[in-house]
Amino acid sequence: MAGLATTFGSGAMTNSISEIEQADVIIVSGSNTTEAHPQIARRIIDAVDGSAGLIVIDPRKTDISKFASVHLQIRPGTDIPLLNCIMRIILDENLVDDVFIEMRTENYVVLRDMLYRLDLDETAAETGVSLEKIRRAAKLFGRAHKGVFCYCLGITQHICGTDNVRSIANLAMLTGNVEKQDTGVDPLRGQNNVQGACDMGALPNVFPGYQGVADPTAREKFSRAWKSELSDKPGLTLLDMTHKSRENGLHAMFIMGENPMLSDPVQDKVKETFDSLEFLAVADIFLTETARCAHVVFPAASFAEKSGTFTNSERRVQHVRQAIEPIGDSRTDSEIITDLSAGMGYAMAYDNPAEIMEEIAMLTPLYGGMHHDRLNENWGLQWPCPDRNHPGTPYLHKHSFTRGKGLFQPASHQEPGEPPDEQYPFKLMTGRVYHHYHTGAMTRASHLLSRECPRALLEINPEDADRLGVRDGEYVTLSTRRGNITICTKITDRVQPGMLYTSFHFHEAPVNKLTIGSVDPTAKCPEYKICAARLERIQS
Amino acid sequence: MQYTLTTCAHCGCGCGVYLHTENGRVVGSAPSKNHPVSRGNLCVKGWHLHDFIHSPHRLTTPLIRKNGVLVPADWEEALDFTATSLTRIKKDHGPDAIGVVSSAKCTNEENFLLQKFTRAVLQTNNIDHCARL
Amino acid sequence: MSAAYILAKDHLKSFVRKISKGSRLIAPVTNEYGDTLYSEINCLDSTQIDTQHQPQSSIKHFFLPQQESILSYSVSQAGEYHFSNILIGVPTVFFGVRSCDLAGLLYMDVIFSNPAKDPYYFKKRENSIIISLGCNEPFENCFCNATKSGPFLDFGFDLRFTDLGDRFLVEPGRKRGMEILEEFAYFFNDASEQDLKDQYQLQLESRSSFQQNVHVDLAIKKLANEEVGKDVWQDLADRCQDCGGCAYVCPTCTCFTITDQPVSESEGERVRSWDACTFAGFTRMVGGHNPVSSEHSLRRRFLHKLKYDVSLHNRTSCTGCGRCVGICFGGVDIIKFISAVCES
Repeated sequence: MAGLATTFGSGAMTNSISEIEQADVIIVSGSNTTEAHPQIARRIIDAVDGSAGLIVIDPRKTDISKFASVHLQIRPGTDIPLLNCIMRIILDENLVDDVFIEMRTENYVVLRDMLYRLDLDETAAETGVSLEKIRRAAKLFGRAHKGVFCYCLGITQHICGTDNVRSIANLAMLTGNVEKQDTGVDPLRGQNNVQGACDMGALPNVFPGYQGVADPTAREKFSRAWKSELSDKPGLTLLDMTHKSRENGLHAMFIMGENPMLSDPVQDKVKETFDSLEFLAVADIFLTETARCAHVVFPAASFAEKSGTFTNSERRVQHVRQAIEPIGDSRTDSEIITDLSAGMGYAMAYDNPAEIMEEIAMLTPLYGGMHHDRLNENWGLQWPCPDRNHPGTPYLHKHSFTRGKGLFQPASHQEPGEPPDEQYPFKLMTGRVYHHYHTGAMTRASHLLSRECPRALLEINPEDADRLGVRDGEYVTLSTRRGNITICTKITDRVQPGMLYTSFHFHEAPVNKLTIGSVDPTAKCPEYKICAARLERIQS
Repeated sequence: MQYTLTTCAHCGCGCGVYLHTENGRVVGSAPSKNHPVSRGNLCVKGWHLHDFIHSPHRLTTPLIRKNGVLVPADWEEALDFTATSLTRIKKDHGPDAIGVVSSAKCTNEENFLLQKFTRAVLQTNNIDHCARL
Repeated sequence: MSAAYILAKDHLKSFVRKISKGSRLIAPVTNEYGDTLYSEINCLDSTQIDTQHQPQSSIKHFFLPQQESILSYSVSQAGEYHFSNILIGVPTVFFGVRSCDLAGLLYMDVIFSNPAKDPYYFKKRENSIIISLGCNEPFENCFCNATKSGPFLDFGFDLRFTDLGDRFLVEPGRKRGMEILEEFAYFFNDASEQDLKDQYQLQLESRSSFQQNVHVDLAIKKLANEEVGKDVWQDLADRCQDCGGCAYVCPTCTCFTITDQPVSESEGERVRSWDACTFAGFTRMVGGHNPVSSEHSLRRRFLHKLKYDVSLHNRTSCTGCGRCVGICFGGVDIIKFISAVCES
């Protein structure tokens, strides 16, 4: 998000989901789209069936790569050299959009000079993909009239995640593939309301609508509305809290509906933090691994038991409607927060979520026209929607970028924080599977979803399996410098030799015991996609 | 059988889903045909969206740790204990001694309220969620 | 007594009100979001029955719910188990059932009778009155002409309605339909010869206005003779994204699974829920071996519809409703499959 925000001024999907099927060339990078975003994969497959070209950039063979005209199976962590190669070829082939660059962007010369200094053969070699293949992809995308670039956590969960995103933005601007309908840059959001949680200011540095806490005007506005003195000091990020509570002087935490014990890297550190806290309160629908560490646990109502709104990946704010009463003695998170607030001497009186949204609309220009009564029309509204008469915005940056001119920010290759070595010879990557959602608290309660995908599987290439004498379905010990877990193997050529892949949904095989603590310095996104690992057979 | 149109909670696509309820129980999930994202179909997670709602493992009562063990408590006690603890820690160690984690699975309104609570009541900006995970 | 009657459109609402007294009424309703669903109608004055649009899902889930408790159990302190069957059958009038959905129901009647009668299904089935509605104009993806299940299915209903513009032609089918007509005779006039001619004309026009041209018979023949190339099956397997949607929206897909779920420490329920034969877990054995590959499970689903059922029941179990058309994540559907088979 930080990458797009500095380039375009806004870190969200620029298109609507349904625009994707109108594109004539689509690049999918670092996204296991069919499993993590099935509806977007459906649009991509429809586009391909209607003769669009598809370029997939992924070290693994994913299902979507079966539909690709070109699959660039790069070495993990070499997205920047690959994108630089592609851009250089586009430059050499004279496929750049000069008018767009002239009218809508700045800092182009710096990018161009960097690209001209590039040794193509050398850079291509870094990616592990043949230059000829890269050239095919570059020409395909360079000639696109309506090019869409979709990416996901395979791009951002690297030490150089922000630079990866900037490179994508560079490519889009170089070819003029933003601003128009059916073209754009689309970060696919992982969880159902990630977009909304960001929009609402559940971030350490911004109020709702990305209004900076350090900005005196914004602070003054919120301070007046909330009748409270507000801090101008940006807060701690999630990993600063769960990994470095002591250094950061944290004594208490309140966690609503998250399970950092499974989702955050270096699980032992998270556990240590929670155990050392003077006070930990958790609100959740299940007794998660995190809730088990708490001093107080509040039973929360599920999405079926409350009303409100979610914002999806295409910035569409949509109704969540209550179907049943809260189960047992559970209460909605809103009730829990307002009751707690009242208990601390600050009354928050709202009759219903619609009234909360009125306050959001008043304080957040991005959501200025979002009122519950309007959201029934046209299946919700896409932000920005500044006022009551505004129809919402299906695609962003129509006449100008949110920040004015698009900013080219060249980037160069950066080695992962922990490259493989003799002791830990594998590159371990983590991700999601089709049948489960995040830490599995909800999907694993489904009999059918659990049956379809009962356990975490560690994907290993047949070559490596042969060499180590590992059988399909055998439980092995997977270790990194952080610790080890026992996990079931799946032998498949979906992964290249030297690579291992697994998912983080299962508490029995908590892969985040193993992942590395390093983060992208700008976005603070953990480097889930690469760390060095070793695999051993279990001696009986 | 009643149908309630809502938004799927299992990924960022945001499908329109009808929850089927009968006698206060959610017994089915089905896609909306006209919804621009779901367009008449759901992925396997969406079709099984209702499965977890009535799970016997759902938390139904507040819990408080007593002598190292989480035991059932009533709401008043749990809320009081939390409010007192947070107030004390804020007083003893300052507002920045408290950290809050919000959720990408909760609604916009809840996220708004929690950050408002963090900023206006606890008076810290220590709030984040797992956007990056 | 003539076999057809006329009901003035003005009297539809009061007729439906009368026959659904004391029963649940299910009929197509287009909601505020533009989706047409077979819905429970509690108030006929505030809810409009929609006779113009195809309901987006069939009536299957009223007879085979997506999830249904079929048995409850409890354990006494002495360790004795007590079981009780949960048989639910609310008297229900289904109005405006389309031919494809009626055909689906008739198919389920067969499936759930063999080898033994399924009590949970038949409890609901026996408490239902089915009033079907002929389709004057086939919808976008319909091809029931090719599966011989519409647009005016001639059997299986209690009453059949045909929309003649300003009036409905009403024909009795099963015994219960006759009884209704007798009980509420004051609503009806005998149909004239002209009414029957109008109906015949409508049926002819409807049959000639299908937008989809699907060669079901040819596909059946080619599948029976195994004249289908391997690539057809491989393409299906490559494209399937495992959502189960085609089975869930299908009026004749009846795969289910059964699980026991504890409700408390001493009580629990046996739950039957929808399943799909295309899911890997449907055939996976204990120990992890799966005797059926994903290519085979897809192949089996299509062969079940277009080959096995044809040899067993002499008709396909695809009812041509078109609901699986255009919804597949991998861009396949039964129409595309049938044309691929025909071209193979």
